[in-house]
Amino acid sequence: MGSSPVIGSIVDFFELFIVQKIFLCYDIYHMITLKSVTKKYSADSTGLSGVDLHIENGEFVSIVGQSGTGKTTMIKLLIAEEKATSGVIEVGGWDITRISNSDIPLLRRQIGVIFQDFKLLPKKTVAENVAFALEVAGEKRSRIKQVVPRVLDIVGLVHKLDRYPHQLSGGEQQRVAMARSLVHRPKILLADEPTGNLDSINTQEIIDILKKINEFGTTILLVTHNREVVNQLKRRVVTLYDGRIISDENKGKYRL
Amino acid sequence: MFSGFFRIIKFSFQEIIRNMSLSVMTVLILILMLLSINTLMVVKVLTDESVAAVKKQIDVSIYFNPEATLDEIQEIRDYVSAFPEVEKETFFNSEEVFANFKKSYANNPDVLSSLDEIGTNPLGPTLIIKTRDPKDYTKIITALSVPEYENIIEAKTFGDTQTAIDRIHVITTNVQKFTYFLTILFAVIAFIIIFNTIRVAIYTQRTEIGIKRLVGATNWFIQGPYIVESFLFSIISVGLTYLLVDFFLKFLDLYISVIFEKNNLLSNYLSQNLVSIIGIEFGVVFLLTIVSSGLAMRRYLRT
Repeated sequence: MGSSPVIGSIVDFFELFIVQKIFLCYDIYHMITLKSVTKKYSADSTGLSGVDLHIENGEFVSIVGQSGTGKTTMIKLLIAEEKATSGVIEVGGWDITRISNSDIPLLRRQIGVIFQDFKLLPKKTVAENVAFALEVAGEKRSRIKQVVPRVLDIVGLVHKLDRYPHQLSGGEQQRVAMARSLVHRPKILLADEPTGNLDSINTQEIIDILKKINEFGTTILLVTHNREVVNQLKRRVVTLYDGRIISDENKGKYRL
Repeated sequence: MFSGFFRIIKFSFQEIIRNMSLSVMTVLILILMLLSINTLMVVKVLTDESVAAVKKQIDVSIYFNPEATLDEIQEIRDYVSAFPEVEKETFFNSEEVFANFKKSYANNPDVLSSLDEIGTNPLGPTLIIKTRDPKDYTKIITALSVPEYENIIEAKTFGDTQTAIDRIHVITTNVQKFTYFLTILFAVIAFIIIFNTIRVAIYTQRTEIGIKRLVGATNWFIQGPYIVESFLFSIISVGLTYLLVDFFLKFLDLYISVIFEKNNLLSNYLSQNLVSIIGIEFGVVFLLTIVSSGLAMRRYLRT
């Protein structure tokens, strides 16, 4: 799989940033820190309870667990879609526990996120979807014109720039979503069940891209309940059960 | 900032074109609402005109005794003109009254032959009084019904027509009240329908709004295109409504000119009040669409 054209062009993409000296310097040791984080939706509905988690710069961590154990809650807390009931959350050294509404967009422009349902804008083309992430950040037009095709080239969709999401397969849509999440050069990539809607071939392709992105230094948090994916990765695995961490292993396996 | 503004304008045009059916539907609803409001404007102009026309028909005739002297008549004329309610008073001397009488009965040989038999002019001078409002006639009549004038004034027609005048007054006031009520009712209906149309339009975009927020768009960047869209929809709907109304008024005027003996009554009213009508309609529609979209979007912009 490592020889696929998709992966090959990732190197070009990161070289682009290195040459332009805009690649981020990772001098933060803890990329993600949760200190006794609890999230209660209501009196009898708890998302997370007393979770402590440290994810270091450059790690590739899989978060596994059954449905309703708090995996998605964790993602929502990290992108400030939800606020913690108690505890402290830091992302890239930034305490986002009590983040103000006006700072939320700034946070989200520094974290790449991909979802099970892709979350592409249906009325925008592939290129426009990717460009949108740069446009909201006020990136220059010339820069957008230069970067968007290159990022889409990495995910192997440069020939489908003008297609709309509904004209693409599920795997292609997820690759567009990945291109969009990478276009900011994020320090962290959060992937919430990115392969949940994909067949095994597309799943493998997405995981390969994630691995390659991680090799170039981006911290990856992968939420999944795909046993094969987790077992094949042989990376750190954090298992959640009922809102708590029940195991945290460095070269873990899917245990549930 | 500047490029952000251009992007917002670009996005709003993109959304209008790519959601064409929704855009057309929204503009259509806005036009329908504006048309109903404009219909009421026409109804109001027509009632005002009818009320004025009916009021114009009403006057009070004071028939003087043929023996009344010119001085006595002049005194009454001065007295009547002094009332601020009196709009106009027209005096006809005995000869004029006689000539008018003969003219109006020119086709009735019986009346004319009986007049010839009398030989002299039996009719006294007449004063025709018009007041600004029909209800003021009572005041004039009361003022003239004093003993000093009993010998001078032979008759006042008002006594016979009083009930008619009262009824016309009641009818016209009620017709006007009814048009005001209808206007308010239509305005409320228009408000609710526009509000809901915009809410549905925003509702269909709720996932997009959520995605834009996830990608790091600020609320301003998300709401901006909707404000520009509201502006464009308002311009288009008010413009098209104006063209439709202008066309229909020209058509209606052909029929109305027969009734009121006035040419281009409605078209003239529109062109005389063009700036305020278009300005108010545009302002209200724009404000309403912006407020509705703002309210509808608020919940999707929270996180």
